[in-house]
Amino acid sequence: MSLAEELMADFDDDDDEDLEDIPDLGENLKGVKKEELDDDIEEATEEPMDTTKYASVHDVAKLARSDEYLALVKQLEVELKRPQDEVKVTAPLEADPQYKLIVKLSHVAADIDNEINVIHKFVRDKYEKRFPELETLVPNALTYLATVQLLGNEINSKVVKEQLGGILDASTCMVVSVTVSTTQGVKLEPNELETVMDACNLAAQLHVNRLEMHQLVEWRMALIAPNLVALLGSTTTAHLVSQAGGLSPLATMPSCNVQVLGKTKKNLIGFSTVSTNPHHGFIYFHQLVQKMPPDLKNKAAKILAAKVTLVARIDAQHESSNGEKGAEFLALVESKFEKMLEPPPVKANKALPKPLDKASKKRGGRRTRKMKERLGMTDLRKSANRMNFGELGEDVMQEHMGFDIGQVKTGNVTGGRIRTAAVDQKTRARMSQKMMRQMERQKAAGGMTSIRSKMAGTASSVTFTPIQGLEIINPAAQEQQQCSSTSNYFSSSGSFVNIDRMTL
Amino acid sequence: MSYMLPHLENGWQVDQAILAEEDRVVVVRFGHDWDPTCMQMDETLFKIAPKVKNFAVVYLVDITKVPDFNKMYELYDPCTAMFFFRNKHIMVDLGTGNNNKINWAVTDGQELIDIIETVYRGARKGRGLVISPKDYSTKYKY
Repeated sequence: MSLAEELMADFDDDDDEDLEDIPDLGENLKGVKKEELDDDIEEATEEPMDTTKYASVHDVAKLARSDEYLALVKQLEVELKRPQDEVKVTAPLEADPQYKLIVKLSHVAADIDNEINVIHKFVRDKYEKRFPELETLVPNALTYLATVQLLGNEINSKVVKEQLGGILDASTCMVVSVTVSTTQGVKLEPNELETVMDACNLAAQLHVNRLEMHQLVEWRMALIAPNLVALLGSTTTAHLVSQAGGLSPLATMPSCNVQVLGKTKKNLIGFSTVSTNPHHGFIYFHQLVQKMPPDLKNKAAKILAAKVTLVARIDAQHESSNGEKGAEFLALVESKFEKMLEPPPVKANKALPKPLDKASKKRGGRRTRKMKERLGMTDLRKSANRMNFGELGEDVMQEHMGFDIGQVKTGNVTGGRIRTAAVDQKTRARMSQKMMRQMERQKAAGGMTSIRSKMAGTASSVTFTPIQGLEIINPAAQEQQQCSSTSNYFSSSGSFVNIDRMTL
Repeated sequence: MSYMLPHLENGWQVDQAILAEEDRVVVVRFGHDWDPTCMQMDETLFKIAPKVKNFAVVYLVDITKVPDFNKMYELYDPCTAMFFFRNKHIMVDLGTGNNNKINWAVTDGQELIDIIETVYRGARKGRGLVISPKDYSTKYKY
């Protein structure tokens, strides 16, 4: 709070002291009498041990005591008892008292959430003295306040533990019961306990008023947002409009924000975060989305949230008052969902294609003829395939009966000698220009090769001499002689170097 | 599976079936539906009929109901398969010595597909005799 409000609070205290008449009148804290609350303020200010700034919940939660709020609650109670048929909304929607009331209730319902959070903070600061661990065990505001109201000062009694299961879930109830026996808190003073209980009762009253506001908003929603009601139903529409704070804020909201409206925070006491649902709001728990299989729920929620945004904008512009656009969008959403649920089409077996022989791309030409000559049958093979008429063939091998060499021996090509057959120029092994150049260089260096040389194949590089007996010719000896001729020192042709001249 | 393949009931139907196909091989199985050898052959024909429907069509003929072709084609075996292309009987050199027909049950579908493919290729080129890709002689049996 600001400094001015603190001064105003002190000023109010002085006025109340002057006007006080009967200090001990009644003990009912829930009553509307202000003397008791003032008396509570007076007693708290005299306490030297008070470490917090505010002694009463009304110092921090001012909504419940404002005149506007009280008048609105009275009007709410009047409207709740009014029959539905009497309610009519005039043509200019913003000027209608019903629409004004609904919009005001939506805003107040959003303010009540903040108010409950403020009360939650106040009670946590007060109750921390008694049970400091409860704040982290129960993060939800209303659940925490209900737990504090139940526990009070006697947090270890058996009856309280049994009733705790009705407020908390099983795991949290177990953890709270275990922590109760090991807490370091001390008992509260009676006035502190009264302050805490008063705050809890105020929060419960605000919650009841908020539920009534939601009820009335839901009843009047068909008049305010007919297309949204046609698409989602009145309950979810009332939740969304109330959560967004009105129809105009809902229309300006992007669809990804609309999708997560209504999500709840969950406390994980050592449990894994795998199974949490961080983006599940009112849209996700709508029955249209819940009917889908689990793997399509997220996609369905996105589709529905997108259409909700479009329909909210139609309603914000006050078009299609009978809800026909909402019905069209509902049919569109349902057709999309139905298409998502269709099974995939069956695969048909393909028949074999016609076994047509394709035309050859190669016809002839110089390159093809050269290749055919190179890869064709040799003259020797042709002679072996020929047989003389009337002559008995000679078997080449015992197990290959009938295999002979034909006219190779008796033909007039080679005269009967196989090893000296003429070389066919077409099938001669050829060398590239690079290999020829390399062989010339190798021949000049003193090396020798079996290709293109006149030496016999059985010649060897090992020679026998009468002096050493065995001598191996080194092909690289020529290179060494050339290297030695370039030496300047120790050369037979070199001369002496005059050192004295260099010294001077 | 012979009831899944089309049957020809008289000689006129057989003639029209062979005449009507302009671009496909007509495979005619002569025999009886109740014969065990024909049952095996029909099983294979049913299996390959959807695969070769682009270049072949399969018909079944009962040689008791249609006795017109028994003497002409010497249909005295329990099961006989013959190939026709554009009203012309295509012979297949299978290695058995009988080039006119297949007179046993071919149980491998791929073998039958290969034979029909060879018949189609040769028949389109105008040949009356094609060589089977597999040798069915008794050379490799003993």
